[in-house]
Amino acid sequence: MNCEVCQLKELEVEHFEIREVLRCILHTIVFHRALGLVRPKDVDLELFEITYVQCGDMELEKKIDEKIEQFISWVEKHPNKKSQICLSFFEVKNKQAKWFTPKTERLQWEQWYINLNVAQHPKAHSGKSHNSKVVIDPGESALEERMARRAVLEASLHEVLFQIIKFVNEKKDHVPPIPNLEGVVWFPHEITIPSSSDSAFGMDMIKRMLQTGHPTMLS
Amino acid sequence: MASSHGNSHSEAAKMEQIITEFYAKSLHIILESRTPYMSSRNYSGEQALSSPSSSSSSSSSVRPRDKWFNLALRECPAALENLDLWRQSHLEPLVVDVILVQRPLDCEPVKCSPKRDLVRNLSLKERYPYCCNYEQEEFGCEAKSEKIIERWVVQYDSRKIRDTNSGSRRLSSNTLHSLYKKSMLLLRSLYVTVRLLPAYKVYRDLNSSGQIRPFALTHRVASFAEPFTCREEAAMQRFGFTPVDTACGRLCLSVLYCSSLSDVSSESSTPMSPQLIPDYVGSPLTDPLKRFPSLPVTGSVAHAFPPSSSFSRRHSWSFDHYRASPPSVSFSPSPTYSEPHALISNQSSRFPPTIMPPHPPETSLVYKKDTSFDEYSPAFSPSPSSASPSLPIFIPGSHHSKPLLQSESAPFSERTAKLANSPAFCNKLNLPLRGIGSGSSKTDKTGGFMEAGTAVEKFSSLGKDDARQYSEVKISSSSSSRSFPDDLDDSDFPCPFDVDDEDVTDPGSRPESFGKNVPLCEPHVPGGLFPIKKSQDAAVGALVRMLRKAPPLRQDNSNSVKFCPEIWGNSSQEPNQPFKGQASVQRDDSSSVISSGLITSKTTTVALEELQSYREMKNLLLGQGNFLLNFGSPSMDSQPLN
Repeated sequence: MNCEVCQLKELEVEHFEIREVLRCILHTIVFHRALGLVRPKDVDLELFEITYVQCGDMELEKKIDEKIEQFISWVEKHPNKKSQICLSFFEVKNKQAKWFTPKTERLQWEQWYINLNVAQHPKAHSGKSHNSKVVIDPGESALEERMARRAVLEASLHEVLFQIIKFVNEKKDHVPPIPNLEGVVWFPHEITIPSSSDSAFGMDMIKRMLQTGHPTMLS
Repeated sequence: MASSHGNSHSEAAKMEQIITEFYAKSLHIILESRTPYMSSRNYSGEQALSSPSSSSSSSSSVRPRDKWFNLALRECPAALENLDLWRQSHLEPLVVDVILVQRPLDCEPVKCSPKRDLVRNLSLKERYPYCCNYEQEEFGCEAKSEKIIERWVVQYDSRKIRDTNSGSRRLSSNTLHSLYKKSMLLLRSLYVTVRLLPAYKVYRDLNSSGQIRPFALTHRVASFAEPFTCREEAAMQRFGFTPVDTACGRLCLSVLYCSSLSDVSSESSTPMSPQLIPDYVGSPLTDPLKRFPSLPVTGSVAHAFPPSSSFSRRHSWSFDHYRASPPSVSFSPSPTYSEPHALISNQSSRFPPTIMPPHPPETSLVYKKDTSFDEYSPAFSPSPSSASPSLPIFIPGSHHSKPLLQSESAPFSERTAKLANSPAFCNKLNLPLRGIGSGSSKTDKTGGFMEAGTAVEKFSSLGKDDARQYSEVKISSSSSSRSFPDDLDDSDFPCPFDVDDEDVTDPGSRPESFGKNVPLCEPHVPGGLFPIKKSQDAAVGALVRMLRKAPPLRQDNSNSVKFCPEIWGNSSQEPNQPFKGQASVQRDDSSSVISSGLITSKTTTVALEELQSYREMKNLLLGQGNFLLNFGSPSMDSQPLN
């Protein structure tokens, strides 16, 4: 089975923007992979003039939020690092039981890489200068700067969303048949965030790729 | 979905059904996010927010339509309508044009942004004609500018030649499954895309609040596309979804869209800015405003009223520079008297009785007086200092009143005549013309016009000539050493709003009840606000004064009486029927007062006060309901004093 990989455009975000950006992207992807009966829910981002779509499932929302929180805490421990979040979809296949191996295996058929570059300086800036010298002038200029940056990010996020749409449009053959099970709304998936040690994360990914076969195409 | 029947015929039929449903779903998705009606979006949002319950409930209530492509959408009547039409033309291309309808902003009641006001000031005269055009167009259904901002095309390209043969052969449940899955994916990305395009912001703006926008979205569904001009096409971007191949053709979906709706959005954003609009429009008469969006739909004059009145009021007091003119219009008690009468008489003579109630003049006079009175008596104004814009306005106005009034009166009559004559008038009027709309059928409106702020605005909307006259009037008034407008702009303007807010909420019933009771109530509302806001002591004082000074009412009673029944009869639909009776009583008083005033030739001041007091009474009565009866009779008794 093909495993399609989509590398999304890197986004420069500030710390406080991570949550919204990730929610927007992750939900948009999952919505495209939710082929069960879905009652879509529109969500307006607070920081950006963007409306994205959720599946309207509380559990899914919770799961995604948890992962995002984990990611945020990871970012706090690893400032100034580019980071990657992987959302992968897989099929679960039964295989012959052997010692020390699970009875099921995951066959990944799609991976989405969300690339974030979390800018730390604004946060530090606000943290320090905020309290000590809340000077008006710098504040204003900083505000302008921030607005400009925000606009750029909004445009980039928009771009990423269209990247997702295009990918979904172009790559349809690898998507497994719609699950027939009642109540199954989306394909099984997993969100991988960098774990506490980078190497482990990398190893994990490599291992997984070896397990599931390699990506045939990079988009 | 496709069962493995293996019967190629049924498979083909299934495929066709999938395609048909794909069309339907596409149309539904597009229109659902492009046709603002009610607050569908909010509704869905709520539904979604309470997802646990809603999802469960929704799952239980899954409609067959929702099951298609496993995508449950909310109801979209527009889509259903068009779909029915489209189904008849089987598998024809489906072209959905999303059209942005823009009305000139200046004509909009909501147009309150400071920028706009500035503009208005600068080119006041020019603006007026513009407004007039707009109005006329509105009436004639021509004026608005329409622009296609999105063109969605859904079509099925069938490969005719070999597909009939090989297609059937190749059709299998597998391909059907694949087709279904791919169209599902396509529809999901359509669903997301529709929300990312610029037009969605327009839709969201339209739906996000009850505020009126100078633009609207509409749509056109057809099986063919009117070609764009090169220029139009150049301004648009295309996004093509990857077609879904079927056994014998392919499903195509694409959109041409305007990549920038900056003009619209910027326009809209300005008025929408939270600071300006909410204060201006939303706060004082929340309910009417909310009703607004529905107004155009209903088109009923009566409905138009309450909001319009509220709008007019706001305009006059706060932002509008027109309001400079309002004072001029309203102010002079004595001159007004004679002249309005003359005007009215003229009008009445022109108009058939049904259109023009015999005593419109009185009513108008009353209104004028009331408003002026508010300004007049410090006792009423909560903040005597500078807070009440009314004070400066009216006082100066009274001095200048004669010339101004004359000029006004003439235009006024003309205007009313025009209005009454134009059939479209009623429909279109609702927003801008509020008072007028009712006036078209009844002369009362004229009274409403006379009122300070409101009057001016209305006029502006009414006719070019009239508007010009008004503007002239305004200018003259301002030139006549009126400091008023400035004051308003600076500090005063917020104040009235606050007051208004209270008023609105308090009498609560008033806006609604009166709004519907078209003619009579409407005029009252604007004036009424001021009295209400005043302190109770002041009100009491006013009452006492009124009682003391109450003029004889008899003379015009007969007329007034006639008048009232008509009006109220019309408004009989209203839930507020109790008010009707009261209102009519008051009406009699006021009218009689006016007439008496004329006859007795009181001084301006006295007349103003009287009128004011009656106004006040009326408002109080209206607001308090039963209260009315008690006061109504005493006032009548006390009339002989003068």
